[in-house]
Amino acid sequence: MKRRAYGRDAGLTLRMLLTTGLLGLLYVIFAVVLFQVLNVGLVPMLLIVVGLAFFQYYTSDKLALAAAGAKVVSREEAPALHDMVERLCAMADLPKPKVAIMDTPMPNAFATGRSPKHAAVCVTTGLWDRLEPKEVEGVLAHELSHVANRDVLVMTLASFFATLAALLTRFGIYGGIFSGGGNNRDNNNGPPVWLIVLVVSILVYFLSYILIRTISRYREYAADRGSALITGTPEYLMSALQKISSQMTLIPNRDLREVEGLSAFFIVSPRVKSALGELFMDHPPIEKRLAALAQIAREMGRPVA
Amino acid sequence: MGLRDVLFGKKKLSEPKSDRLFALATAAVTLDTELGLKPAGVGAIAFKPQSSGEFRSAFDEVDQLVDAVAQQFGSKVERKSDEYGYDWIIVRDPELEDLVASAHTLASELTAKGFGSLLLAAIFRFDGYEHPVYFIYGFKRGAWWPFVPAGDSKRDNAKELELKSQLERELPIEQDLTRWLALFDAPV
Repeated sequence: MKRRAYGRDAGLTLRMLLTTGLLGLLYVIFAVVLFQVLNVGLVPMLLIVVGLAFFQYYTSDKLALAAAGAKVVSREEAPALHDMVERLCAMADLPKPKVAIMDTPMPNAFATGRSPKHAAVCVTTGLWDRLEPKEVEGVLAHELSHVANRDVLVMTLASFFATLAALLTRFGIYGGIFSGGGNNRDNNNGPPVWLIVLVVSILVYFLSYILIRTISRYREYAADRGSALITGTPEYLMSALQKISSQMTLIPNRDLREVEGLSAFFIVSPRVKSALGELFMDHPPIEKRLAALAQIAREMGRPVA
Repeated sequence: MGLRDVLFGKKKLSEPKSDRLFALATAAVTLDTELGLKPAGVGAIAFKPQSSGEFRSAFDEVDQLVDAVAQQFGSKVERKSDEYGYDWIIVRDPELEDLVASAHTLASELTAKGFGSLLLAAIFRFDGYEHPVYFIYGFKRGAWWPFVPAGDSKRDNAKELELKSQLERELPIEQDLTRWLALFDAPV
C-alpha cells in the first residue's frame, strides 16, 4: 500500500509556480531592457554579479555561521544535539551536516549550505534550554528540510537579479551625479540612459523584493511540512513555533538587530512585525503556519490506495 | 530528489530497503571465524512512531505479529521508548538468523501497512573485543555500518574503519561515512 505524501498542498505548489514564473518574467524583461538601453558595460557588471553570487553560494555555510557568530561543535561538546541530528538525517536520508551552536538567549535555529553535503544546522542556546527535546527535534527537522529542499540554492538563484538591480541602482545614481549621464550615442532625444536604468532597476528591485519574500514564505511552509513528515509528530513543531514566537518578543532588541541580515534563514524570523504586513515578511505569520501544520496533522496517516 | 521536488520543496521520505538485512546472517561466519566476533544474542529495531490514530491501530497489528513470530522462534521481545521519541523493539535470541528474520518481519509488515518510511535502523550486537561491536542497518540506504562505542559518547573510528575494510566483500557497507549514524543509548 502506498501512502499519499500528506500535506501535499496543491494550492501551495500553484502559488510557488506562479511566483517563480512572475520573478522569471520580471528578470527577462529586466535583461531585455538592459540589453536594449545599456549595451556597454553590461558584461563587466554581469561578471561582478555572477562572481558575487558564486562567492555567496560556495561560502554560504561558513559565511552564515560566521555572520551569526555561531560555533561548530563536535560530538563531545554536544552529544545530545549530535544524536538528534544524526537520527533525523537517517530518517530523511541526508548526510550529516555540520552542527553549530549560537550563544544567545533568543530561541531560534537556522540551516545553511549550498548542498546537503556542504550544509550546517545551527541552534541557539536559548532554543536548546527553553524547548523540550521533542520540540527541538521538530525545529531541527524543519531546518533539515530546508537543506533537503536546497533552499539556499533556490534563494541564491532567486535573488541573483535583485542583487544586479541593487548594484545598478547604485551605479545609476553615481553615474548620474558624476558624469551627467551623457555617454551614450542616442542621448539627444528622450530621457538620459542612466535615468532609464535607474528607474527600471528600482522597479525591478522593488518587485523582486516582494516576489523573493513570497517564495521564501512558501519555502517555510514546505519545510514545516517536511518536518512533520520526518518526525511524524507535527504537534511538537507547533508548540515549538508558539514558544519561539512568544519568547522572541520578550527578548531585548539588541539580539534581533545582530542577526537581521540572516533573517530568511531562521525558523522564525527575528524581525519585529512590519507595519506593511505579510507582503514584506520572509516568514509567514505564525498563525498561518500553525493552521497549515494542523491541516497536515489531520491528513497524516490517512492511507490512499 | 528530482528538479521538480527541489523547485517545490517536496522532500519525501524514502521507502525502506529491507532485503539486505539478511546479509548480516551470511557475514556472521566471517565475523566469527576471522574476526573473533560472536553474536551477543540481541538485536533491536528503532522507528519513529506517528501520533496519528491510523498509525496506532496499524502498529497494534504489527506488534501482535512480532509476538507471534517471537513465540515461534522462542525469542524474547521487549519494547522501549527513548528520550528522542523513537520506539524500540528489542529481540533476544541466541540464533542470529532468528534475530534478523524478526527484524525483517517487522520491517516488511510496517512497510506493507504503508508506514515503512518511519523505520530508522536495526542494530545487532556482537561481543569479542574490549568494547561491544554493533552492526547497524539503515533502512533508507539499505546498507550496513559498524558502530563501536568507546564510552562517554566517543566512538572507536579506527576499529570501525578496520571492520569496514575487512567486511566489504561480505556486507553491503555504507560508503558515505557521514551517514554512519551512532546509536549510543541503543537498548541492546
